[in-house]
Formats: sequence, C-alpha cells, structure tokens
Amino acid sequence: MKKFWLPLLLLGLLCGFFISPAAARDADTLIVAQEAEPVGLDLMRSSIQTTMSVCYNIHDTLFHPQEDATVKPALAEKWEKVDNKTWKIYLRKDATFQNGEPVNAEAVKFSYNRIFDPAIECPHKGKLEIFEEPKIIDDYTFTISTKEPYAPGLYILGYYMPIVPPAYIKKVGDAEYNINPIGCGPYKLVKWVKGEEVIMEAYDGYYGPKPAYKHLIFKAIPEESSRVAALLTGEVDVISGIPIHQRKKIEESGKAYLTPQMGVMHYMGLNTYEKPFNDVRVRHAANYALNRDLINKALFNDQAIICAGPISPRTFGADPNLKPYPYDPQKSKQLLKEAGYPDGVSVRLSYPTYMSQIQEQAEAIAAEFGKAGFKVQLEPLERAVMWENYKGKKLEMFIYWWDDAPEPDRYMYSLFHSKSRDYYYKNTKVDELLDKGRTTLDREKRAEIYHQLDDVLYEDAPWVYMYVVPEVFGVADNVDYQGRRDGFLNMRYAKPKK
Amino acid sequence: MGRYLVKRLWHTVYVIIGISMISFFFIHLSGDPVMLMLPADASKQEIEQLRHRLGFDQPLPVQYLHFVSNAVKGDFGESLYYHVPAMNLILERLPASLELAFASMFIALIVSLPIGIISAVYRGSALDMGTMLAALFGLSMPHFWLGIMLILIFSVKLGWLPTSGRGSLAQIIMPATALGLSLMAMFARLTRSVMLEVLSLDYIRTARAKGLGEFMVIGKHALKNALIPLVTVAGMQFGFLIGGTVIIETVFAWPGVGRLVVQAIFNRDYPLVQAIVLVLAVIFVLVNLLVDVLYVYLDPRISYLEEK
Amino acid sequence: MQASAFSIRDSLGPSLRLMRVTIREVARRRSALVGGILLCCIVLASVSFPLFYHIDPLEQDLLARFTPPFWQHGGSLAHLLGTDNLGRDVLSRILYGSRVSLLVGFSAVVVAELVGILLGLVSGYYGGRLDNLIMRVADIFMAYPFMLLTISVIAVMGSSIFNLILILGVSDWVTYARTIRGSVLSLKEKEFVEAARAVGTRHPVIIYRHILPNVISPLLVLGTLRVANIIIWESGLSFLGMGVPPPMPTWGRMLAEGRAYITDAWWLATFPGIAIMLTILSINLLGDGLRDALDPRLRNIVS
Repeated sequence: MKKFWLPLLLLGLLCGFFISPAAARDADTLIVAQEAEPVGLDLMRSSIQTTMSVCYNIHDTLFHPQEDATVKPALAEKWEKVDNKTWKIYLRKDATFQNGEPVNAEAVKFSYNRIFDPAIECPHKGKLEIFEEPKIIDDYTFTISTKEPYAPGLYILGYYMPIVPPAYIKKVGDAEYNINPIGCGPYKLVKWVKGEEVIMEAYDGYYGPKPAYKHLIFKAIPEESSRVAALLTGEVDVISGIPIHQRKKIEESGKAYLTPQMGVMHYMGLNTYEKPFNDVRVRHAANYALNRDLINKALFNDQAIICAGPISPRTFGADPNLKPYPYDPQKSKQLLKEAGYPDGVSVRLSYPTYMSQIQEQAEAIAAEFGKAGFKVQLEPLERAVMWENYKGKKLEMFIYWWDDAPEPDRYMYSLFHSKSRDYYYKNTKVDELLDKGRTTLDREKRAEIYHQLDDVLYEDAPWVYMYVVPEVFGVADNVDYQGRRDGFLNMRYAKPKK
Repeated sequence: MGRYLVKRLWHTVYVIIGISMISFFFIHLSGDPVMLMLPADASKQEIEQLRHRLGFDQPLPVQYLHFVSNAVKGDFGESLYYHVPAMNLILERLPASLELAFASMFIALIVSLPIGIISAVYRGSALDMGTMLAALFGLSMPHFWLGIMLILIFSVKLGWLPTSGRGSLAQIIMPATALGLSLMAMFARLTRSVMLEVLSLDYIRTARAKGLGEFMVIGKHALKNALIPLVTVAGMQFGFLIGGTVIIETVFAWPGVGRLVVQAIFNRDYPLVQAIVLVLAVIFVLVNLLVDVLYVYLDPRISYLEEK
Repeated sequence: MQASAFSIRDSLGPSLRLMRVTIREVARRRSALVGGILLCCIVLASVSFPLFYHIDPLEQDLLARFTPPFWQHGGSLAHLLGTDNLGRDVLSRILYGSRVSLLVGFSAVVVAELVGILLGLVSGYYGGRLDNLIMRVADIFMAYPFMLLTISVIAVMGSSIFNLILILGVSDWVTYARTIRGSVLSLKEKEFVEAARAVGTRHPVIIYRHILPNVISPLLVLGTLRVANIIIWESGLSFLGMGVPPPMPTWGRMLAEGRAYITDAWWLATFPGIAIMLTILSINLLGDGLRDALDPRLRNIVS
C-alpha cells in the first residue's frame, strides 16, 4: 500500500511542474523585477515604494510632476490660477477609465473624498489635508482651493491623488478594489498571481501616448544577487534595488546598463531634548566625527553625494555656499571636553534592519565615532519596532532615510516642522521659515527662504548630515528607459531600443 | 480502534486550542501594531480611532474570544499589512510551502532508501562506511548553509540552476535538497539499522533457505517491516520540515508561508501571524494523527493500550 | 541503603563507575574518539585563541574590504581567511563566534535538561492529574513550530545572549521530560524502589538516590546530541537577524551577511558554515559513540 505513494507523489509533482504557468516572453512584453511584491494595487492604500511603482502604471493623476518640481498636464488639460489659493482646472474630455467610465469632475470629487474616508486609511492623507473639497463647475471643470497658499500644490496632486472610478468602486467595494483595481492609466490589470507576478496589458482607450510595450509584468525577487542574475541572463528587463557592489558587474556585462533614479538621503537624527545631544557642541562634535569620505569610498564606491546641510544638494533651495562638515576627530574630542565630557560620552545608535547596507554603515560609523570620543552601542531594530520607538521618542541617535525629492517642502516640512513631527527637535525659527517656504509662490523667493533654512539647520545641527546615495535601475540593453528621481517604475515611458 | 481515534481527536483539539492561546498571547505582548499602520503625521485621535475600530482597545480575553468565534468560521481577520483577509494570503502561499515540504520528503526518501538498504546488505564494506560517514556529514550541516552553498556552486559558479523563485523543476531542486538533506541522512541511517535487524530475523533465514532470490527476500519481507519506523520518523520530522521551510524559503525567495510569517512577525501583523501559526500547527497535528492511525493499521500489535 | 539523609557518596559512587565504563567504551569506538578529540580542540581553540591569534574581530579596515583568503590572488597572510565587507578578519570572527555558539549551545541544553528533568520526574513519579497536565502542555509545545515559537518570544523579549539561552532552553524541554518520564515509569515499579518505599524513605530521597542515577545516561546522550540542534537553531535565528545583536560576531549572522556578497566574496559564507559543520559533526560523532556505549548492558552496574 505504501509502495504506491512514491510513484503517485512523483506523478503529482511532475504534473505540477508542467502545468505551472510560464510567462509569455516575446518582444512586446516587458518584465520588471523589484525587491518585493506589492501589498495591494490601490494607490490610495499604500505608501510603500515597490507597491506604488506598480500602481502608477494602472492609475493616473491630474498632473505629471517633472524632475524640477514643475508639472505638466495629464488628466488636467489646462489650468489657471484664480487667486493665491485657488486653481481652476479643465479636464480632458477624452479620458476614460479602463471599464469605460468617463474621467470627469464627479470622479475627481469622489477621489478626493475617498482619500479622507477613514475606512481607507490613506497614508497620503496628511499631504492632501491642505486641500479643500473640489467644487464642480461643469462635467469637466472644477476648482480646487487650499487653506493657505501652497506652492507645492500641483506637484502633490500629481503624485498623491489618483483619480478612481466611482461607479466601479461602489459596486465592488474597497477590499476587492485593492486586488482588482480599475484605473485610468496606460496599463490595465490582467491578473495578479499573489506571491509571483502582476500581469498587465496596455489599455486601448488610454488618452495619452500608447506605451511601447503591450504586456507588462512585475515580479518580485527579494534576493539582490538573484535579481541581478535575472537581469544578466535576460530573464527580466528592468530591476530595482541594486546594491553598490553589484553595479560594476552590470555595467561591464555588456548586456545591461544603469540609469539613475531616486536618491536615498541617509541621516542621523539626534535627540535634542535629552543629554548629551541637548548641547549644540555635542551635536557639532558628532558632525565632525563622521568620516564621510572614507565611508563613501569604501561602502559606496565614491558614488554617494555628500550632504552639507539637510537639503539635498540636488534639490533647489539647497544653499550652494555650504560645505559639508569636515572630518575632524580631534575637534570632536575638544568640543566634547568643552561640553563637559572630557572622557568622551556613551551613545546608543538605533537603526532599522531593513535599510540596505545599513548594518555595514552602522558598524563603520560606530568604529569611526569611537576614535572621536563617542562610545557607540549598536541597536538594530526591525522596521516595526524602529518606527514605534521613533514615534515614542525613545531613540537617542538613529539612522533613517528620506528620498531626495525635487520639491524641498516634501521632506523639509515633514521632517522638521514641529506640527509634523517634534519627537526630537523643535525650533520656532525653522517652523517660520518652513511656513513661509510653502506659502510663497514665487520660485526665486522660495529658493532664498530655503537657503536660509539650510543655513539655520546646518548651524543648529539637529542631525548628523550624511550623504545621498543615488539609487539606480538596471535596464537590459534592448530597452530604453530612464529612471526618475521619484524612483517609481513608471513603465509607460519605456520603449525598445533599436 | 474507535475509542483510540476519539482520544486522539480530543488530543488534537486541545493542542490546537493551546497553541492558539499561546500565539495570541505572544504577539499581543510584542508591541503595538497601530503605530505602524499610520503615517508619521497621524494625530493621537486618529490612532485611538483606529485602535478602537480594530478592537485593540478591548481587554485581551475579550479579543481572544472574538478571535476564536471568528476562527471557527474560517475568518482570521484581515492582515494589517496587506489589507486582505489573512486566510486568503495563507491559501495562496500554502501550496508553495507544501510543495517544498513534499519535494524534500520525496527526495530524501528516494535517495536514502536505496542507500540504507545497500549499506545494510553490504555491511562493513567501504561503501557502508562511506555512506554512513556521508550521512553523518549530512546531519551536521545547517540546512540554510547548504542552501547557500548549493546556490554558490550551481548558480553562481556553474550557472546550471536559477538562484531563486518557483515554477520550474530547476527551481525546486536546490531548496528541496537543502531542506531534505538531514532527512535523507536520518532515513538512510534508520533504514540501514532496521534492515540489519530484519535481515537477521528467523523467517528471513527460512525464506532464504527456501531458495527465493535474494532480491525477493529483501524486497518483500524486509522492506515491509521497515516501513513502520520509517513512517513514524517521517511523521515526526514533518514538524522539522515545517520549521525548516521558514529559513529555506528566505534563502531561495520561495513564495511560501514560512517567509510570510517571519515578515508578519516583524510587522506585528497579529491576525496573519496567528492564522499561520494555527494553520501550521493544525497540519502538524493532523499529520501526526495520520501517522499514528497508520501505525496502528500497519501493526495491530501496537495498541491503544499505549495511551494508558 | 540507608533510610536517612542524602549521602552523596552513595549516589555518586555508582555514577562515577558508570562514567569510567562509559569513557572506556566510548574510547573503544574510533569514530566517537575522533569526535571527542575534535570537539575538545574546538572548545580549546574557542577559549584560548586570543593567546596566539591577536587580530581583533571588531577591527575594521575599510580600505581592505573583501580581501580573499591567502591562497587566492589578492589575498595576504595578514588575513588568512580573508576579510569581510568592513575589512574585518574572517578567521578571527569565526573564532570569536565559536564562543557564542558553544556557550549558547551548552547552556541552553543545561537549561532544557533542568526544566525537562524537573517536569519529567514530577510527571512520571507522581502520576495522575499532574502527569496528565504536564504531558498535555508538552504536546502543545511539540506542536508549536519551534522556529516560530522562538522568533515570537524573541520579538517580545529582545535578543541578548541570556534571553537566547533561556528561550532556546525552555522551548526544548519536551524530549528530556518525555525520556525521563519513560524511565521513571518503568523504574517506579521495580523492587528496589518498592523496598525503599516500604522502609519509609521519603519521595525526594527515592528520586534522588535510586531513580536519578539510572536515568542520567539516556539524558546525557540526548543532551549531547541536542547541543548540535541548539547550535543550528541559534545560527538560524542569527541568520534571520534575531540572534545575538552586533557587533559581536556570530556564525549565523556571518552566514546572512555573506549571502548578500556570495557572488563576489564566496569565502564570507563558506567558512563560517564549515565551522558550524565541523562543530556539529564532532558533537554527533561523540553523541553517537556515547549512545552506543551506554546501552542497557551497562545499567546493571547501578544498584
């Protein structure tokens, strides 16, 4: 009796392998591999980079944000400034959702309200709170106002308010919409094989230029080396999440090339409310203790961009006259002595283990700091615990990151304004400048304000300023795709290379 | 037999209840998931609202009872991270883990049975010593290290096999071998020792005397008797397989339940962790039950008296 | 057999004799001897390496990252097994890491044995409802996937060497408890125990002097073999990031870090794994030998 088990099992397994679906691999299919699969396909429900990347192919917004923080038309055909706080927006009349519903002012209003629906728990809600409900003028025209003048307004709308189909959502409900969305973007969902791939197909009724690839598949390959291997063997066409030490291999392979995308700005936050970092001299000492050049050379192949102040050197508003803090461990020790720590000081460095290359950075930093009078105790934490402790004000010195966005308000406000987060630092002058920065609509004047902000924060040093590590995408030689600073894999722009 | 079955079923039930309580208890002790679910700029009020909506502000025993009453209907709540019902996620990933477990068991059996038999028959020879030494090495290797070494040799250096993922025969060989190696070693040793015992039994000698071919002797009588301990050990090791898939799935990016649960624990995704732990425990317990019943069926002498 | 106080010599005597015979039996088997010697070498190296190998496992040399082992092109004798992604010496880290593995391995087994012995003894000897309860709890522990149990508890309690030892130890008590309970059940009915009871010896004394010496041998074998398991589980936990926190090097974490660099620096994942394997191998060889040596024939020596 047991003798039959083995042959049966063998038969079963063999059948399983032959029946397994294999993706069609022809010239009009583009396969993209990310580090993780999306957690859902409803853009309003996730702020995770890999999820949003997939969503941006299916959904569309009113504007297409550009690399210099301006916007181009998308669903909005033209717009005019009514006053400092209001825009009148004219929608295109030929845009439709992938199920045929029209993209009209009703849909815009519905989308706006959905963002604030508590059942959705939209993580982007905070960014959109400054907007008031759109007022419909006619089928394809509406006005939208902000509570105060808000310079980044259209840029933010361009990213965080996807326009979604009211009728469809009312019919299937939110949970189903997260798995089977209908958007107005260039690709529509064919099938999502959970744990394996998201299969999409070009939408014939798309108002804009049709994407060059008819079929689009997103896979998840969590292992870095496997992902790179998949690119080099031709299994996939585009990959994200390429660690520094794998980049040369791709460049030299002759089969693929690198294209820059988002910059990851690493920083070390300091708890300015408690000892020892409540003393600005100690904070300065920490900034002098970091050997940015050595770490850049050793860990990042000299590809990181060293930061002077908190505003990324690639973003407008960064003060070009600021120079990064030099590496000067002697000065650190001296400052510590002045601050009352002649024998150095013990600090606890916390960091989230999911960040790439974080372990090596933390250990390298700890070793360097040791030579400058700081005795560092490492505290690696998982993502969840790190976040909790961060919000719970339990950290002393911590490494975190932010993406190096072209729009300075995007992160400066979130990170430094006391209304947004005041867990470790609060400065009324900074608050003032941030408020002014976002309500001044003139670009030149804004740049000046942010210059000032950069200087103030450089001096006050609530952070140890580190560097921006430019991320890259790996792209197969027969595909033409340029990465963008938002780091999203918006494959409508990809085309075959002759 | 009936009474035995009833007893074992009762055992199954209380084990499952016990496990659900322990996992519930732990994951709630381990921290607050609500903080994680909301963005940085969420207000205190929003945090409280969400907590209330998800029922986390009620006392633990009440939460547990809610959980149980839903669980028996098959509803394990919604994953806090993925926003889909926990059960759906598990059902999507479970086949992958089971496939891996069975493939490992299969590879282990296919390799170890002939080796064990041959070693027993040629006892004392260089072949015997060699295979037993190899088995010992196999038992001593951490399975995840073996997985990494297999990737190094067969994917990186030789380029024969893909490094990760699921879907083709080429992709399942390495993880199944890594996971199955210690089983292989264990089965080989077990088979050998059982075969040695059985080969010396009287009725085998008689069968031999009757002039039957050596092969028939081994094939028919000896193997059938070796089945009992093999089945028992296989059943017991199933528990190891379940635990082992956790790490192997991570090494090979295998889209199974093991990897899902580790991420869920890190994400403080209560409903998902509970659901997975329960499902795995149920599988384990059912497999044991099956093994026990099979055991009794295979050898009626082993009775229900064992439970005295 | 005195009816009064614990006499250490009385119970120690047979145990000592048992040990001598065991050692003799073990030494007779070549494989066990090899295992034992290998294990001794490993433990010795682990404890005394700072005396002859002076490189600090924590010392970084950022510009000398990824130096290959000395026999490869680019390697140097300064770092025999190469350096890792921060320029730290691999050999030194392996030696240092052996301490964690061995310490956690042996200590966790001791903890598990203690818990297991206690519960098993109580369960077997007193029987009845207590026995039932303990055995049911044991069933529940056995059915809970070990990895998940330990990960969950570590997520709650945090990972430090002490916590790891405690958690791994407490989670593993069941096999010991069941083994001891089995032995106790069979010994309980034997004549010498009945006799002791008849004379009025108190229960704990009976347990200590008559039952315990007889059940130690299977426990010893079990314990030795389980050290291997614990070391593998500890490496696994380290691998997943839940073991002893950095910067202390552990074999499991070295494997995890090495895996990320597998295509460029194969030595980072290979050597720690070999270290684990050799340690486990020696333990298994020794354990196997012990088990063969301590078979029922030897039990006659006691009582």
